[in-house]
Order: sequence, then C-alpha cells, then structure tokens
Amino acid sequence: MLLKLMKKEFYEFRKTGKLIAMIITFLIFSIVSPITAKIMPELIRSISSEITIIIPTPTWKDAFLQFFKNLNQMVFLIVVLLFIGSIAEEKNRKTAGLILSKGVDRKKWILAKFLFQISLVFILTIISFFLCYYYSVILFPDTEFDVSLQSCILFLVYMTFIISLTIFSSSIGNNIIQAGGIFITIFIILGILNMLSPVRDYNPIYLSSLENQWVTTGVEWNSAVKTIISSITLSVILIFIGLYSFNSQELE
Amino acid sequence: MNAIETEGLCKYFREKKALDNLNLEVPKGIIFGYLGPNGAGKTTTIRVFLNLVKPTKGTAYILGEDIRESRNYLRKIGFLPDVPNFYNFFTAREFLSFIADITDIENPKKRIEEILELVGLKNEKGRIGTYSRGMKQRLGLAQALLPDPELLILDEPTSSLDPQGRKEVLDLIHSLKDNKTIFFSTHILTDVERICDRIGILKEGRLLLEDDIENIKKRYRRRRILIEVDDLKRFSERIKETLKPNSIEVKNNSIIIEVLEIYNTLKEIPQIIVQENLLLEKLEVLEPSLEDIFLEVTNAT
Repeated sequence: MLLKLMKKEFYEFRKTGKLIAMIITFLIFSIVSPITAKIMPELIRSISSEITIIIPTPTWKDAFLQFFKNLNQMVFLIVVLLFIGSIAEEKNRKTAGLILSKGVDRKKWILAKFLFQISLVFILTIISFFLCYYYSVILFPDTEFDVSLQSCILFLVYMTFIISLTIFSSSIGNNIIQAGGIFITIFIILGILNMLSPVRDYNPIYLSSLENQWVTTGVEWNSAVKTIISSITLSVILIFIGLYSFNSQELE
Repeated sequence: MNAIETEGLCKYFREKKALDNLNLEVPKGIIFGYLGPNGAGKTTTIRVFLNLVKPTKGTAYILGEDIRESRNYLRKIGFLPDVPNFYNFFTAREFLSFIADITDIENPKKRIEEILELVGLKNEKGRIGTYSRGMKQRLGLAQALLPDPELLILDEPTSSLDPQGRKEVLDLIHSLKDNKTIFFSTHILTDVERICDRIGILKEGRLLLEDDIENIKKRYRRRRILIEVDDLKRFSERIKETLKPNSIEVKNNSIIIEVLEIYNTLKEIPQIIVQENLLLEKLEVLEPSLEDIFLEVTNAT
C-alpha cells in the first residue's frame, strides 16, 4: 500500500510541474555554486575598478560554502512551499476523506507522503552534490571529496528534520495557511533558541551552521553528535505526533 | 440481515447534538432514502459510517462489523460525497486506475472501461480540473462503483445534475438494487419517491420516522376527497349537512373534504349527487405525497 500511495505522490509531482521545479532548482544550484565561487572575485574587481580590493583566491571551500548556502536558502524554501500543503490541502479539499473512506490506513497515508518527500529530496540532493563536486573538481582540482560529502550528510539530516516538521505542521493544520503558520512559528522559535549556546548543540537548525563549519575547518563528528541525535529524535517525535494527531482527527 | 444498523448513535460537536440517539435499520438489498432538512445530520451520519468521525456514544454495524472495532468493512463500501472533489491533475481513467490500485481490483483496465461507459465518461480525455460539476458527480459515482461494493453510500447523488442526467443516474441506481444495498441521502423528495423502498426522516439529529414508503403513505393517509360537480354551492351545503366532514375547502371549481371514515363517504357521495340531480365531473381520493408527509413530520416537532 505504501508504494501505491507513493506512486500517486510521484504522479502528482510529475503532472503538476512540482517535480520539474525541484529538479531545476537543485541542478541549477549544483552547477552555479562552483562557477559563482570561481568567477566572483573577477566580477567584484570588474564592478569596482577604481578601488583596490584584496580578495582571497577562491578555493573548493568557497564552491561548497556557496552550494550549502543555496541549499539552505532557496532549496529549503522550495521544499517547504511544495510540501507544506501535502496533507492540509487534501483535508481542505476533502480528497483525504474520499481516499481514507476506501479503507486506506491513515498512518500509511501519511507515511507514504513522508517517505516520498524524503526520498525525492535525498535523491536530488545526492545527484546535485555529485554534480557540484564534478564542477568543483574541474574548477578547483584540490576539492576534498570526504569533507564535502560528510557536510552533505549533515544537510540530509537537516532536511529530514525539515520534512518531518512540514509533515507535522500539515497533519495538524486544516489548510495550507494554518500549516504554514505552524511551521513558521516552530522554525522561528528554533531560530531564537539557536542563539542560546546551552541548547544550540541540540537544535536541528544548528546543523546548517555546522555544514559550513565542516567545509571551512574540517569534519569534527564529536561536535555534531548531539545535534544529529537530537535532530533525528525530534524528527521521529514530530512524525509520531503528526500520525497520532491525524489519526484522531475528524475529516470531511 | 441488515446492511446498516445503528444503536443509540450520538455525535456531539461541543454543545451541538449532530446525531442524537439514532437507531436506524437498513435491510440488505434495498434502496434506503435518508431525508432531512439542511443541518439535520445526514452527512454527519455518513461520516460516522465511513469512519471519518468517531461517534460520541453508541455505535453502528456496517455489513455486520462494528465500526468502532474494524475498518475492514470500508473495503466493501462505495461512497459518493455530496461535493465530489478529486485530484484535478488526473484524467478520469488515471484517477480510477489509482482507486483500482489502492482497492486491489482485479483486471482493472476492463473494469475501468465498463464503469466509464456506465456513467457516460468513456470519451472524456481531459483532466478532472476541467470537468463540470455534473461530470464530477458522474466520476464520483464511477469511483464509488469501481470496486463493485456490497453497500453504496450516496450523499446527494443527483443534486448537481440536469433533468436528463438525474433520470439517468436514478435509473442507474435503481438498476443496481438487485445485488447491492443503497443508502441514499437527498433533499429531492421526488427522487426518493421514485426509487426508494424505505425511508428515514431525520431532523436535528433525531430520526423522526423510518419505514417502508407504502406503510408510511398508509399511516399518513389523510382521508381527503376531491369532488368536482356543476353546482358547488348546493353540493357543499348538502355535504355539510349529511356527511359532517372534518374540513371542507372550496378551490376553483372543486371541493376538497376531509372525513373520518372514507369508505362510507365514498358510498354516500354518489347518492347525494343523484338526489340533488348534479353532474359529477370528477371524484378523486387524495393520497399524501412524500413531500406532504415530510413537511408534516418535520414541522410537527
């Protein structure tokens, strides 16, 4: 049943153009990031020709810093916008009630959405990582595969948390506005908590800073263990609460 | 055996009693008309049956299964919602193919073509988003019928159809009666009168009446007679003197009387006409329509 429901999600993404939007977003940033890192100093120099600006020589680290910055901003935004209504809008449009009245298990219905979304983001992230690595190696031959790959793993953990949060918000909200409001509220709270050092190590949002830190200063798993474990734990809790909440909801 | 049976079914939304101690019995193999004014609790009843909302008290047995303990019965039900909303990106075939997939239908392609033919959507190639309300209603019926369910639950199945479409859908529902039970909620009393065997009238969450249509009509027979003669004034005076009716109403060129006992009255009327040397133009015993009964039952509470 899970696969059948995931197949429908894939079909929906394909037919509504969401899939192509995601592919383009991921691919553009994977190609553009190393190129931007390479030509940025030249661009800055050409704009301000009368002032002498000392710009350090770009390295592969700049390429991946740019790549993760784009993933954490634009790709994050696209993912949230496309996924946030996945459950709430089906409740609002009453298609959820129609499908569940066929005897489809509510938990499987939600899990299929989660698994589809996480699979899609993981596949696209991995493809775009290799593309970014490929272009980085061309432009910066000393690109370090191990460091960039391990930073990418941190991004995948971070996205697992973000997708769990969208599923949670969408399960609780009755429409896309409510779901978006729940997501933003929690995200802002986590953003504020990220400024407090005692809890920062347990905050999933801190993972996005760690990605950059690892690229810049090298991989240090010890510093990330707490954050990774708490992110995965929180993701499981969010999915669990989302499932429990949806299971007890009254549908139209 | 009953296809649907409820026992003291209650559903409260905070203070509002959407369903109040509902005891309903729908025998297998019939078309059951579920009537009630807006907000009576018809759709809530259906939502409870479909496990979309949980009852506050009491329970329902659908095809022998207690809805609080099992969801397996949902596999044997076809449901058409009052406002059918589907995934707009699908075509009708794609949508039915998805439904066939999740309901494990054997030989789905053949079945989908049969059903599309049945509901008149065989030649529709466009996406559901481009469909009219009537076409969506037909597709709703198609997805409900696709798994060949034992029990069909139809919420206002003809509300958005034109007269021709309505007739076709009613004929289709009627033709399914032999091997299915149909639970049919509607406002359109003529539809119910046309195809239903048994009805339930609901108001403010309470079942006011439940019986076979024929029994209900007998029970609510008003003993009213319409007579048309050439001299209404003379005739009405004689009627008042001789029959002493409960009420007498002169309308245009006819007279309607309501009496306590109809058979003797029907014997006496021709005698009066002969004695008064009147010309009898029309004599008709008025049966109450379902609408009359519905209004009487719902207004009485």
